[in-house]
Amino acid sequence: MINRLSQTIFMLIMVFLLGPFVIVLLAGLSAGETLTFPPQGLSLRWMRHVFTVEAFHTSFMLSLWLAVASTVLALLIGVPAAYALARYPLPFAESIRRIVTAPLVVPGLVIGLALMQYVVVRFDVPVALALLGSHTILTVPYVLRVVGASLAHVRADMEEAAYLLGASRLGAFMKVVLPNIRAGMLAAFILGFITSFNQVPVSLFMTGPGVSTLPIQMLGYMEYTFDPSIAALSALLALLSVLIMMVAERALGLSRFM
Amino acid sequence: MFQDRPLTGYLLASPALLACALILIVPVGILLSAAFQVDGRVGLGQFVSFFADPLNQDVFWRTLRLAALVTITSAVLGYIAALAIVGMSPGKRSLVTSLVVLPLMISPIARTYAWIVILGRSGLFNNTLQGLGLGDTPLRLLFTEGAVFIGLLQLFLPYMILSLVSALENLPRDVTAAASVLGANRWQTFVRVILPLTREGLVAGGTIVFTGSVTAYITPAILGGSKILMLETLMVQRVNVTNDIVSASVIAVILVATSLVANDLLRRLATSRRERS
Repeated sequence: MINRLSQTIFMLIMVFLLGPFVIVLLAGLSAGETLTFPPQGLSLRWMRHVFTVEAFHTSFMLSLWLAVASTVLALLIGVPAAYALARYPLPFAESIRRIVTAPLVVPGLVIGLALMQYVVVRFDVPVALALLGSHTILTVPYVLRVVGASLAHVRADMEEAAYLLGASRLGAFMKVVLPNIRAGMLAAFILGFITSFNQVPVSLFMTGPGVSTLPIQMLGYMEYTFDPSIAALSALLALLSVLIMMVAERALGLSRFM
Repeated sequence: MFQDRPLTGYLLASPALLACALILIVPVGILLSAAFQVDGRVGLGQFVSFFADPLNQDVFWRTLRLAALVTITSAVLGYIAALAIVGMSPGKRSLVTSLVVLPLMISPIARTYAWIVILGRSGLFNNTLQGLGLGDTPLRLLFTEGAVFIGLLQLFLPYMILSLVSALENLPRDVTAAASVLGANRWQTFVRVILPLTREGLVAGGTIVFTGSVTAYITPAILGGSKILMLETLMVQRVNVTNDIVSASVIAVILVATSLVANDLLRRLATSRRERS
């Protein structure tokens, strides 16, 4: 009896967690003019419509560019940091780790407001550049965590062997370490991409003329419009995430890093 | 090869360190320090005047209340889900685990917007009620504390489940069997064996859920609007409507302090676990 009850509750919990996505998908396939559920007939009209809205188009391109560029930058500065923390006997290693993982601790809205108020406005920094910088440091902690975990499995004596056999330090890193942490780097890339692409609080205050990321654009749009286009866009983004997630899970077992 | 060269290590870490300091530490430091200045002198006056406003007090207590409620509910549901998941066969378990992780990968806007479709005036809930003949006028469900609560719960429950699953996996295998052999019923086994042994997982998950709820923006913004303000939506309102950076900095101090305390707790839990194993 108790077993059956807890099984039922468990099923309800899973419905609670996943059901909303099914509903948003169906709402996005609505044929009607306004957002209702159950939808008034099914069609792809709103799915097609979101591709014709200029503001969605430009902000999608900005978000995409931002996600790729910031994650690549985060790997470029994060991998050396992870390597340094894994290999070198650094005094203050714990402090370094704390500073670099601060973006996980400080709420995004605070980061965004401070950056906008005291850097962008005061020093006339382009908003796009501030977005790039903030999204980059947001991804660095994931690089540190995931690549750090991969580095722990690469034994230091393999590198030392390469070094003793005549490789340079950089050569030893490129030929011995890098191939072994490729999976970790890919996992960090995917996590970073998703973090940046879905980012709201950090980007919220950072909008300028013609510069606004897709999630911020969506938030603005839903305040004034009640057609199913946000549902359609949400459904498309959710499907995109599911796709990325399935590929990543197949290739890397990404849920291990969450 | 590495022992003699801490300088190289610092050099390698410096780009990340510098980026983080310039983009985050310094500006956030300036913002937070603004909360402690009264007419150019150091003081707590801004906090006093912030909390003197009944609206701000309301928002502060509502945020804590909702976050606590979400944390407690997610703990109860989390245990039920985690116990069910741990009892599954390995193949099924990894499938269900990835289904629990999946929502975390999806845009929080998409996740929250789904609740507009469900709770809106002509949404699933109201239409079902009317279809069943249970009501003629649609209920106003959006822009209520209930809507924000549901949205936050759905957003953060996966973290609690994952944290409890990993705690239950580390439970010595025979303890529950031993408890039932010794005559404990299921409830006693849970309260006296499972709960104490998974306490760290509960605290870890609870800390993530609580901090996440206190510092949530998207959910209260979409489901609460300007009627049900929480700390972050109040902060955005203060900046965008009245350009009141001082109030915003006071809220920022509260948010950062909550996060720091929670984070410190988590870190201590992690190190004590490592030392014991």
